[in-house]
Amino acid sequence: MSAELAHADDVALSHDAGHESDHDHGHPATVENNFLGLPNIKLAMWAFLGSECMFFGSLIGTYFFYHGKSLAGPLPQDVFSIGITSISTFLLLMSSLTMALAVDAMKLGNKNSARNFLLVTALLGATFVGFQVYEFSHFVHMGLGLSTSLFSSTFYVMTGFHGGHVTIGVIWLTMLALLIHQGKLNTQRLPVSVEVAGLYWHFVDIVWIVIFTFVYLLEFIQ
Amino acid sequence: MSQGHDAHATSHEAGAVHSHRGAYIRLGVILTIVTAIELALPFLKDYPEIWNPIKPVWAPLLVVMSIAKFGAVVAEFMHLRGDRRVYQFLFMSPLLLAVVLFPAVGALSVVTFRPFGEGYASTAIDVRSGYVAPTKGPALEAPLADEKFVLAFNEAKGKNFEAGKKIFGEKCVSCHGKAGEGVANLGFNLTDNCYKYGSTFKDLYLTVAKGQNGGKMPAWSASMKGEEMRQVVYYIKSLKGSNAAGGQPCVGDQVAD
Ligand code: HEC
Repeated sequence: MSAELAHADDVALSHDAGHESDHDHGHPATVENNFLGLPNIKLAMWAFLGSECMFFGSLIGTYFFYHGKSLAGPLPQDVFSIGITSISTFLLLMSSLTMALAVDAMKLGNKNSARNFLLVTALLGATFVGFQVYEFSHFVHMGLGLSTSLFSSTFYVMTGFHGGHVTIGVIWLTMLALLIHQGKLNTQRLPVSVEVAGLYWHFVDIVWIVIFTFVYLLEFIQ
Repeated sequence: MSQGHDAHATSHEAGAVHSHRGAYIRLGVILTIVTAIELALPFLKDYPEIWNPIKPVWAPLLVVMSIAKFGAVVAEFMHLRGDRRVYQFLFMSPLLLAVVLFPAVGALSVVTFRPFGEGYASTAIDVRSGYVAPTKGPALEAPLADEKFVLAFNEAKGKNFEAGKKIFGEKCVSCHGKAGEGVANLGFNLTDNCYKYGSTFKDLYLTVAKGQNGGKMPAWSASMKGEEMRQVVYYIKSLKGSNAAGGQPCVGDQVAD
């Protein structure tokens, strides 16, 4: 293992799995664990996700701040289609499961299975984005432009940023799967690379869990 | 699902790795069931015996289910439960801040929002239109500020504009037609996007209150209360753009608002 590792380290990217942190390789490209003994990239991802909480918190907060104050229609109840949104919501939820399974497989060193789960996850995510594109174009068709009303502006910005996050995730996971397939990544750091991508992906999913319930489902409560 | 056995970072120690696959799949099934409940239960509306007891708690229940799903994904899929404190801190503190801060700001703004409806000095001068309430006869209640109009409009919309529709049927149909389509030589079409005197809430309110064109469109402030005039304004505002059949031709300008 150490022979392979030493070799792989020479072509290492800047993110280290941290598994071998207390190893004796001195060169900076591999010493990625910080003073806490944790992989920097995972720490960074959690810090980033913390800031994302505030980011999406403000977008969702703004949506509700202006809820019911739109002057011009169509209003949420006129355009929302719970049926279609439920399907895409379910797909995104399932993508979280496949993502977790990818992380799990990678930890066990099962690269092929990890790659496959990553691809399935990316596919589910891409389908979600497809649904959103359809939804947006449908809304625009019904006369709901970006600047039609307070509802339309806050809704599009909120869900648009979420969809953007999903899109980035899809690209990320696809790249990761490809690199795993080509064997281009350092085997030692792969588990953390996949885990960190997973953290991002799950976060995007939980943001949607909130949006789906609070924006879509609660809209139809009398 | 996974127990605390791997607390403090098994995942960082080579050798002690084991699969959570079973637990993940179990959680996936639970999440699916919860989502199915969220979506399926409202269909019970057709069965009042079952739905009526659920109805009052349905909204809180939806919130609880959403939070539970959120928590489960963070704790298990993201493995934050049992992971390092520093990760928990980095994620949970801004999350809590967001959950407390944004609703608090929202609540504050509602409290400081002046209650709308009455309370405007009856002799107020409307700055935008330059309209001064008449000193003779019953004082004209000044129009509301725009955002209050919007709120009240949405409230009226929730009630299907019933109050305004009724007043319109009693006082306006004779000249503006049953659907607001207008009557030749009597009253304008109120269902197009064409207005002579403007279509903002304030414009409509002033038109109704003080009349237009030397009384061809009568002034209603003497015979209607402010709230009645507002209700009918919400109703005719909702007619805008509905383009009722047989509408009278446009007199005035096409307006966007
Ligand atoms: C006696 C007939 C008559 C009645 C009753 C009447 N209107 Fe009118 N209304 C008119 C006429 C005529 C005009 C057009 C005035 C002009 O020639 O400029 C008009 C204009 C209007 C306009 C302005 C439209 C524009 O293009 O700017 C509004 C709004 C309006 N009426 C609302 C109402 C409402 C609401 C009622 C019931 C409370 C009502 N009217 C009752 C005759 C009437």
